[in-house]
Amino acid sequence: MNTAPVIEIQNLVRRYGRHDAVNGLSLTVPAGRCYGFFGRNGAGKTTTIKCLLNLLRPDAGSVRVFGLDPRQHEVAVKARLAYVPDMVAFYPWMTVQDTLEYLASFRERWNRDIESDLLQRFQLDPTKKTASLSKGQRTQLALIGAICPEPELLVLDEPTSGLDPIVRREFIETVIGAYQSGDPGRRTVFVSTHLIAEFEGLIDQFTIIEQGRELLTMEADAARNRFRKIRARFPGESQLNLPGALSVKRAGREVEILANGNCEALLAEVKAHQPEELHTESLTLEEIFVASNVLKSATA
Amino acid sequence: MLFQINFKSGTPVYLQLVEQVRHAAASGGLRAGEPLPSIRPLAEELRVNRNTVAKAYAELENQGVIETLPGKGCFLKELGSPLTKTARNDLLTQEIDRAVVAAHHLQISDADLLALVKKRLEAFDRKNQAATDSKDPA
Repeated sequence: MNTAPVIEIQNLVRRYGRHDAVNGLSLTVPAGRCYGFFGRNGAGKTTTIKCLLNLLRPDAGSVRVFGLDPRQHEVAVKARLAYVPDMVAFYPWMTVQDTLEYLASFRERWNRDIESDLLQRFQLDPTKKTASLSKGQRTQLALIGAICPEPELLVLDEPTSGLDPIVRREFIETVIGAYQSGDPGRRTVFVSTHLIAEFEGLIDQFTIIEQGRELLTMEADAARNRFRKIRARFPGESQLNLPGALSVKRAGREVEILANGNCEALLAEVKAHQPEELHTESLTLEEIFVASNVLKSATA
Repeated sequence: MLFQINFKSGTPVYLQLVEQVRHAAASGGLRAGEPLPSIRPLAEELRVNRNTVAKAYAELENQGVIETLPGKGCFLKELGSPLTKTARNDLLTQEIDRAVVAAHHLQISDADLLALVKKRLEAFDRKNQAATDSKDPA
């Protein structure tokens, strides 16, 4: 597997006027991974992605894609990646087939087998004008255009927002099936989304960005192991001493505790009060994202 | 075979797949020589990273549970661990110790624990028997 990181961002700063959209962000995406980039609206996700693609120039810090500066080697970088934004636009007078030919003309390689497979799977009529496509069909067309050149890096910016659940599901299955079927060392995905649950199984590692800064970077399995929810019910009122819990919710004799890496110690304390019922579960990535708000105020 | 993934269990996804194959193999849900689903369709269906499924299959192959025939796919192997009897006993001892510890904390008596183990062995035998019966209808 390739050892050089596919994306390397160091202390990236990008301002719009006096507003710091990205304010000292650093992250590294190793080759072959599916990397999630989570953040609330306005956290700086799209600005970061635009800096990767040289659609915006950083005010400070450095951005490297395949070890290259996208500002100096824009073509070399873009030849090896593909990008699906949340709002896709095509020339309205072109048909689906024209659009794919047009996109293919910019690419060194274009996999015709994948193209026809996906057109069939999405039931896209190649003779239809792009102006008459629905939002879902437009995203499907953009995805075909992104996967056929078999890029080493697939950048997805909120790709499934505004789509119906079936199209969303197909989108993700296509990323797994059609895109990931190549050499795993040359198939890196960088996906920004707040529909985290859908990408849960795909994501190896993620960064949560908040107000232009990194809030949390973790491996997905490690994160699910570290953030756990403990639910317990006691026979009567109990005085629990729960230092280090991320949050504690009480309702009568019931308590719900969010643990951040100290699950064993918190469980021992709960067990010492002899609960009638005790249940632990891991947080999903989406729940971790929501809990990260609490985390932020805890560390602030 | 069908798989079920639970992101809230705290067990890494690839280990959940490993456990489910091992369980199916022990209870007759999967017979020696039967194929496992190919990596790509299974990853698509479960909507998990392709590498996760590949990692699970690699782990199962290391454990000697399945074998990969190039160009044909993955198949459940005949039982036949490459490990010595002592090594196998050691591995199982660790698992049993965990159950013994759990029984202690749940205040389950030794006799009840043994009875429960016997019951579970019978349950797996019944499942295996049912799987064999459906294979060769008498």
